[in-house]
Amino acid sequence: MSWHEFLRFVRGPLFEVALLVFVAGLAYRIFRVVALGWRHERAPAMGSRAGGVVTSYAKGIGIWPFVPWVRDTFRGNAVTFLAGGLFHLGLFVVILLGTAHMLVWKSLLGFGWPTLPLPIVDFLAAGVIVAMAALLINRFTQPVVRKITGPAEIANWVFVFLPMLTGYLMTHHLFFRYEVLYSLHMLTVDALLIWIPFSLIPHFAFYFFSRTIHGSQFGRRAVTP
Amino acid sequence: MGEQTISEHLRAEGVSRREFIRYCGVLAGSLGLTALPPGIAGSSDGGANALLDRVVQALETTPRLPIIWLEFQDCAGCTEALTRSQSPTLVDLVLNRISIDYHETLFAAAGTRAEEARLQAMETYAGRYVLVVEGSIPTGGTGLFCTIGGRRATDILDETAPGAAAIVATGNCAAFGGLPKASPNPTQAKGVWELVTDKPIVNIPGCPAIPEVTTGTIAHYLVFGRLPELDALNRPKTFYGTTIHDRCQRRPFYDAGKFAGSFDDEGARKGYCLYKLGCKGPTTYNACATLKWDGGLSFPIQSGHPCLGCSEPDFWDGGGFYQGQSAPLDRPGLRTLGLLAGAGAVVGAGVAAATRRGRRPAPTAPTAPAEEGGEP
Amino acid sequence: MSAKTTPTQRALDTFVEETGGWIASQLEACTRCGICAAACHFYQATGNPDFAPVWKVELLRRAYEQRFTVAGRILTALGIRKRITDEDLGAWSKLVYEACTVCNKCAMVCPMGIQLGPLIHDVRAGLSAAGMVPEDLMAAVTKQVEEGSPLGVTDDVFEERIDWVSDEWDVDIPLDREGAEMLVVFSSIEIMKFPENIADVAMILNAAGASWTLSTKGREVVNFGFYEGDAEHTALFVNRVLDAARELGVERVMVTECGHAYDALRWTAPNLVAMPPGVEITHVVAVLDELVRDGRIRLRAGAADGGGGVTFHDACKIQRRGGHIEEPRNLLKILAPESFREMTPNREAAICCGGGGGVIAIKEADPNRYAAFGLKLDQIRQAEAGTVVMACSNCRLQFLDGVQHFGSDVKIRGLSGMVAESLETADEGRPS
Repeated sequence: MSWHEFLRFVRGPLFEVALLVFVAGLAYRIFRVVALGWRHERAPAMGSRAGGVVTSYAKGIGIWPFVPWVRDTFRGNAVTFLAGGLFHLGLFVVILLGTAHMLVWKSLLGFGWPTLPLPIVDFLAAGVIVAMAALLINRFTQPVVRKITGPAEIANWVFVFLPMLTGYLMTHHLFFRYEVLYSLHMLTVDALLIWIPFSLIPHFAFYFFSRTIHGSQFGRRAVTP
Repeated sequence: MGEQTISEHLRAEGVSRREFIRYCGVLAGSLGLTALPPGIAGSSDGGANALLDRVVQALETTPRLPIIWLEFQDCAGCTEALTRSQSPTLVDLVLNRISIDYHETLFAAAGTRAEEARLQAMETYAGRYVLVVEGSIPTGGTGLFCTIGGRRATDILDETAPGAAAIVATGNCAAFGGLPKASPNPTQAKGVWELVTDKPIVNIPGCPAIPEVTTGTIAHYLVFGRLPELDALNRPKTFYGTTIHDRCQRRPFYDAGKFAGSFDDEGARKGYCLYKLGCKGPTTYNACATLKWDGGLSFPIQSGHPCLGCSEPDFWDGGGFYQGQSAPLDRPGLRTLGLLAGAGAVVGAGVAAATRRGRRPAPTAPTAPAEEGGEP
Repeated sequence: MSAKTTPTQRALDTFVEETGGWIASQLEACTRCGICAAACHFYQATGNPDFAPVWKVELLRRAYEQRFTVAGRILTALGIRKRITDEDLGAWSKLVYEACTVCNKCAMVCPMGIQLGPLIHDVRAGLSAAGMVPEDLMAAVTKQVEEGSPLGVTDDVFEERIDWVSDEWDVDIPLDREGAEMLVVFSSIEIMKFPENIADVAMILNAAGASWTLSTKGREVVNFGFYEGDAEHTALFVNRVLDAARELGVERVMVTECGHAYDALRWTAPNLVAMPPGVEITHVVAVLDELVRDGRIRLRAGAADGGGGVTFHDACKIQRRGGHIEEPRNLLKILAPESFREMTPNREAAICCGGGGGVIAIKEADPNRYAAFGLKLDQIRQAEAGTVVMACSNCRLQFLDGVQHFGSDVKIRGLSGMVAESLETADEGRPS
């Protein structure tokens, strides 16, 4: 199989399968949880649940090191905060505002949007790679994080890191021919899509559950989340 | 009997020595080389002069190169491109002076007389002629999708190929099946190298092939007596060594992330990169960006149109011409996606139901007050 | 619980019973980042990674994985994932009972907003079903089941104590008065160790002309079942109070200076048992603030000034988990307008005393408890406060013990007591 044919395979049928696995798997993960049933909270509320939820999300987005209530937590978790923050920020920018990725969304959704200049996206992509390296080192050096790191966490890291790396090399045409890098990039992306339903990555969906629960529980007790 | 060498043949046609040397210069230039290829003996410096010396030597010692040019499922676009080439000297030299012994489109003869000429040439130059193929070969059905003089394309190829010294597949159709092979490929069209496996074959893909590349490759065979160095897809490395993207004049805009968003926006007017308009330059190997067309005047990207990737296999099926190259080739339909998401949800809910059993019931008024007691 | 099953099975069954979407979704949301450790006073004080909240919940997560997820079931069946053993339960028992006050501060720093406190409570539920509750705590639970009180406040002791308080401080304490508007429930710590609290609350309520009563039946609100995490015990104990409320026909139940009892009665009980309709559960700080606001009692402004800095300790169950954050501050701003100052961090982000959640009842937890209190003491020093006020007797017990342990001269006060001694109408009749 030539690289050309391989590229057609990973951009075509394999991507399609990966996307289907991703969607079905994510639906499975979410419904497996949702269908466990929800408790009706019977204690009469003292404060506003909605207010708590709104604050909870606002605080969830505002986890920046300079925010007063984050400062204490930041100490001792600097790598997790900075690298983790850079990782997530970079990931969103690269996936949503990189031109090549926007074209993927456009082909899937039918509409596109303006994108950021490549140098900015590229800088953040490099940032994500550096951040991921830092997070990996942190996983093995920070005592608490080392304790909760298992094969699943390492596998997760690998599955996310490879598309980032191949994508970066591809953008810069480094070491290998473009279609080789493109093939590897798509291969690792497909692998990631298939891996997600089996991993910790659906936390992006469960985030909305946990934040809402957090906000409403604090809100109903009239406490700022 | 001693055959005429090319130089003798040209002199007989009234070409002066001065003109001959000019021809040699054009030929040497057409090879796309700056030095003799490895393994070829030449004069001391090995540079451009050595190349010219070698061409002169070749034309003075080798006989004319007989060429049989077959057309199958094609549009004659590659031939058209050759005849309208802005390098008339070269094309004239290769096609007229070095000898085409059979070419359906260019031949004065017609009908059975033309076919006789082919058979005649095959016999006379058995084992020495170069077979040029333009167009794909249909293998589907009974092979009757393409017939010439009442004979199947496959039969003609089977008959002509064995006596050829080398085969040049010009254009994407002959090389990789091209447009006729586009999905669903009703004629089961194939490229030459899929059918003939025991001959040296060089592919000159493109739609059409760049005429200078076709003639340059023939000239290479003429001068060096063998095919040029080829890549994995049997394309001459000299012409297919780099991507369009690598040599593109709009490349700096790509690197800076400046893209034309439509064919008539500000970016298009400023000559920004055409990636978002579906340019396939990054994965397309061809010489368009360097040789260009119409005597080096322009090429599609320079003129404002994205590269279609016409020198790559299956370029018709490589996603929409105007769809960004990063876009996936296959997408599941909404229906399929919905069905699978639904299936995932149902299975998930099933697993939840299966594992949930035995949860403590919610408190209800009648039961709870009974929970009195416990006090001594 | 059936005796035929192993402790691990009983724990897992309880986990399965307790687990609904709200627990599963939060376990699924965890990214294993470890930031929660930064909020835990036990981890901060000791640096022991086992004390990270995420690790305390690990047992529940493993159980979830092995019981609810297909991959987890397969991996466990294949032996790739280790099954949970009785030894594991023992290890986690030491973590969630002896190094956790279920103060839920970790939830405030979790980037995903996971409610770690309630999840740890669920771990306790499983361990209690498995019979893995630390001995000291279990002894107290048994005592409360059998005698009605972990500190031995039987019917006789209770009546004796109330009589004595009534005499000693010369206050009227209505007992079992039907038709009273409000049932007041004290904790056993107050009855046995801080009897002045009873007098103070009585004095304030009498001064305000409130219609209130104590109940022999629902004589104490303390709930060791809630510490233990056992739903049946928790329900049993809250029902004693609720039944008393039903019988006396009160409109309100006021929990006095006890944090976990308030959490159990106000927020947990409605999900466990049927509540008497129309009865409001409230806390003494809310009532005090209300009485002042309504002008039913008057406080001498600045009564607590002049004795050095005064600060307020936020109890995890009354403030962060109870929502009564501003009420005590409103009162202290009247009592000590000059000298009141906040510790940092404060309010819902306050550092826990280290003795809550039953920790103080477990002898083995003493090193953890003192280590955590060290953080609190640093905080008090930084605030340059000579007096710390709080509205939780459990905190107060821990503070008194901690202050003694560290040899500090910080004064520890209950809020009700401070309010009572500053009553404008109550200048007479109260020995200073």
